[in-house]
Amino acid sequence: MDLVLSGLGILYNWQLLLAIPIGMILGIIVGAIPGLTSDLGIILMIPLTYTLEPTVAILALVSIYVGGTYGGSITAILINTPGTSANAASLFDGYPMAQKGEAYKALSMALYASTIGGLIGAFVLLFLAPPIAKVTLKFGPAEYLALAVFGLSVIAGVSNENIFKGLIGACIGIFVSTIGLDVISGTVRFTFGNIQLRRGIDLIIALIGLFAISEILMKAKYNPKTDRTVVDASSITKMKITKEEYKRCRKPITIGTIIGVIIGATPGTGGGLAAFIAYNQVKQTSSHPETFGKGEIEGVAASESANNAACGGTMIPMLTLGVPGDGATAILMGAFMVHGLVPGPMLFKEQGSILYAIMIGSIIVNICLWVFGKFFTRFYAHITRIPFELLACIVLTFCAAGAFSTNNNIYDVYYIFIFGILAYYLRLMNFQMVPILLGIVLGPLAEMNFRRALILSDGSYMIFIKRPISLAFLLIAFGSVVTFTIKDFRHKRREAAKSA
Amino acid sequence: MKIKYNGEIVIGALFTIASGVLLARIPIEIKTLETTAVNAQTVPRIALGGLCLFSFILFLQGVFLIPKKVLVFDQALKESREFKDSIRSLIYIAILILYTVIFRFLGYIISSIYLIFAILIYYGARKKSYYAIALTVSAVVYLVFSLVLNIALP
Repeated sequence: MDLVLSGLGILYNWQLLLAIPIGMILGIIVGAIPGLTSDLGIILMIPLTYTLEPTVAILALVSIYVGGTYGGSITAILINTPGTSANAASLFDGYPMAQKGEAYKALSMALYASTIGGLIGAFVLLFLAPPIAKVTLKFGPAEYLALAVFGLSVIAGVSNENIFKGLIGACIGIFVSTIGLDVISGTVRFTFGNIQLRRGIDLIIALIGLFAISEILMKAKYNPKTDRTVVDASSITKMKITKEEYKRCRKPITIGTIIGVIIGATPGTGGGLAAFIAYNQVKQTSSHPETFGKGEIEGVAASESANNAACGGTMIPMLTLGVPGDGATAILMGAFMVHGLVPGPMLFKEQGSILYAIMIGSIIVNICLWVFGKFFTRFYAHITRIPFELLACIVLTFCAAGAFSTNNNIYDVYYIFIFGILAYYLRLMNFQMVPILLGIVLGPLAEMNFRRALILSDGSYMIFIKRPISLAFLLIAFGSVVTFTIKDFRHKRREAAKSA
Repeated sequence: MKIKYNGEIVIGALFTIASGVLLARIPIEIKTLETTAVNAQTVPRIALGGLCLFSFILFLQGVFLIPKKVLVFDQALKESREFKDSIRSLIYIAILILYTVIFRFLGYIISSIYLIFAILIYYGARKKSYYAIALTVSAVVYLVFSLVLNIALP
């Protein structure tokens, strides 16, 4: 209770009155523009938060995350293009509703469902995270290593069509994290004689390159004359949601929220998967499944409540175990570290009041989503009019300034483009960036705990097997790699047989 | 000349070779005085060893399990959409590389002006308002970093 009160005390800060609304508006805008995602918005904002207090900085970034997850529904509904992957399921019924002249209704339900789902997700985070953190306080170095291996293997399998691509990504990330000075022995590693590499590759630099620069490069083939889609602002006519529709949507929102929290709390999943599963579940249990896909408001309610509920869910493993639930929380985890907070159970012990401030603040963020979403609904069509070529210039100059500001070093600007070009070619080959990012984030944690565990056990590897929690995580990791490999192999054999 | 390939073969081969080279360089790049079995070289070995193994498996998948594309080096290739898109991508990358060079030697403002013009011309933008907006936002970014955040951009 003391921590809750202390957390509330930290929230009594005038800077939050600016940080949360600005983050929310930015998040909605960034989420609404196809090609920009809340991940990118968070990355771009991190350098601007260096001088802010940790709570204010994190809540500003959480606002972008929450706002972006909702914002993606705007273009999904208006122009059949999801702003973020988390909103792909909203296309199925959101766009048909817009085609029937019910765009305002669809946008309003997306906002309503997102707010409810997000609020419940934030409450679940507040009540579930502390007890989980108490259990994880019993973890030793062996458990932490096993957890890092588990997190990497699950995410490698889930985030990629081919698990080996995910594992390659994870290995690249771990290798990148070893560049520079070894913290234990002070040995210089893979600097190739370059003194600038002694301090290693900053996480933010890798983030900007892997996500922001590569995203811009992916649009190298974009042709403004043929590829641009805009919506006519006058097409949004006001048609309010009826009481009967609110009543019908109670069940889809409930199902979506529960699925969103559970899926979100599972590492490597995220809002996109939660939204699809929730949509599918609501459709299957509906008394009128034939209306789904043709402009059924319940479809929008289910997917939007799930993806925003997942926002709270994904933060549970990130805060309690130090294993992010999805890409955006992996980036948020980087932001935590930049501000001197290392996510994990020790954070609850050492900085409990800040953590409670963040968790309670997440509830406030979701309330703000309702306020700002409601106010800005009529302006949303204009967001889609921003030409990508203009955005590309702005994002690139912002990235360079942000990268330089990290360490006041020009080499960081080089690194973001090196990472960006590498990530671009990997993405062309259908590699996902999240395993690489996780390798960079979890690599140092894994190495430190690996070496500590072996010091404790006098060099015996049996420590990882003798301790039951460590063994459990390693077995799950091994099991998931085997399962995904078999699934992948069978899928490829079927594809090969079809093409033959 | 014809080549049969797929992405998995290319990436698998590249990363297998790269990780093999880096593994061989570990004794040169990581000169540790530790005498324990687990030292500063251990985790890089594990990471690069894993990269080598998984890349090789990916390469084998590409060779045996995944359908291959046929690339024919003739005049039609040069006129194909894919080839033109590849050239466009390389031009885009060249613009960005030149930007980093200008950023270092001539500073943020001049490099931003170059980048804005280069990108907008690349996309064929003709409206003066686009140039004006981009330049204005770039100036605002400079002012925010310099005056608000006290970070002196070059």
